[in-house]
Amino acid sequence: MTFAEITLFLANGFVVSLLIFAVTLLCAVPLGLPIAFCSMSRFRPVKYVAKTIVWIIRGVPLMLQIFIIYYVPGLLFGNPIFAQIDRYILRNFDIPNDGGVLQLLLTNAGGLVAVFIAFALNYACYFSEIYRGGIESISKGQYEAGYVLGMSKSQVFKKIVLKQVIKRIVPPMSNEIITLIKDTALANCIMIPEIIKQAKELAATKALIWPLFYTGVFYLLFVGLLTILLGRLEKKLSYFKD
Amino acid sequence: MAVLEVKNICKAFGKTEVLKGIDFSLEKGQVLSIIGSSGSGKTTLLRCLNSLEFADKGTITVNDTVIFDGSRTTKRSDAELRERRLHFGLVFQSFNLFPQYTVLENITLAPNLLKKDTPENNKEKALKLLDEVGLSEKANNYPCELSGGQQQRVAIARALAMDPEILCFDEPTSALDPELTGEVLKVIRSLADGHMTMIVVTHEMGFAKDVSDTVIFMDDGVIAEQGTPDEVFGNPRTERLKAFLASYSK
Repeated sequence: MTFAEITLFLANGFVVSLLIFAVTLLCAVPLGLPIAFCSMSRFRPVKYVAKTIVWIIRGVPLMLQIFIIYYVPGLLFGNPIFAQIDRYILRNFDIPNDGGVLQLLLTNAGGLVAVFIAFALNYACYFSEIYRGGIESISKGQYEAGYVLGMSKSQVFKKIVLKQVIKRIVPPMSNEIITLIKDTALANCIMIPEIIKQAKELAATKALIWPLFYTGVFYLLFVGLLTILLGRLEKKLSYFKD
Repeated sequence: MAVLEVKNICKAFGKTEVLKGIDFSLEKGQVLSIIGSSGSGKTTLLRCLNSLEFADKGTITVNDTVIFDGSRTTKRSDAELRERRLHFGLVFQSFNLFPQYTVLENITLAPNLLKKDTPENNKEKALKLLDEVGLSEKANNYPCELSGGQQQRVAIARALAMDPEILCFDEPTSALDPELTGEVLKVIRSLADGHMTMIVVTHEMGFAKDVSDTVIFMDDGVIAEQGTPDEVFGNPRTERLKAFLASYSK
């Protein structure tokens, strides 16, 4: 295999990594908000349920959560939904056999769905704690200033509090987002062909070990890009101080 | 005719009684100053008027309409609360401007959200108010670019934009450097000259003496003395007030 072929082989895996990254962000960023609100709820049962969920999900390794979500429906309920997704796709789609991205995705669709669920839940819980910290850090005076001007609670939150919260949570969120792209490697525990799995594949079938180390370059470049983008967002919000 | 009538307001936080039966009334266009040492209940009283706290007992009447009745047991709706708050304006000790908005946007935010008038008219009015507090040239600056005194003047303009019947000040100069208090007091004074009905909680005794029609001295949750500035400052009757005033003349 030439260097270019190996690069392409790994790049296909990195597309899978990026897909896990994007779907997780897309789901976890909004999902974190209701969890944050529940864990701040004045209604105790809601608060404790939310806190317990966050405790369990943050307290158990993400890899274990992937295993649980992937295997438990089949083992416990006799309903291996993710394997069924694979079977369904196998029957109804014309899967190309070129080792390209589409083949990787279609032959692993069930496992990917399990990974999406595990990642989205896990990251939503982490995000919810960042949101909670951000929301609770806004001074009571900001709320009261809105209330005495006759604004409603939702107007105060949307028009006054939210932007200040966003400004405060950008740095911790950046940290989590950068961690997320590296966490996607955990998906290889259920044989999802993300980039590290692809490199291991090369080691196993072609006796090539260096591509495994080469994968670091992909992560580094992407994290570099993220750092620039998140830095820009931070700068964009620096026009005000609180 | 009294624009505001407060009767037997009591408020406790847990076991601590902060207000123990406050009665007073305020005529339209008058300025009431509330003085007293820290912890005497001045700020809590203002917060009860502005529905940021709820008294346990008593009534608050604005223009002959009871807006608060401690004996009522039905739940207060959010809409009712908002309407009630609009009778009053409140200027905070720590300004509480919205940092992400420009000075002009700080003033027009609530009028626009509550559709007080058209956005153009709200803006025009905000610019006029800014002119009145002497900050026309800062309309497009952010609060962090302003001095404390300027921020407080913006906060006053912001409160005025909602046309409150009674404007309350909670120690408006306490967070300011001494050399910045003058500009804020000047604005409040000019409002008094324009017959704005105001309640000012303050530690600026000279100012309270000059600008008020009535002065209330609060001590330990009750009104210990009440009268014209001449009576309260010139001829204090209670030992507590004498001692309090003496601590200021040192």
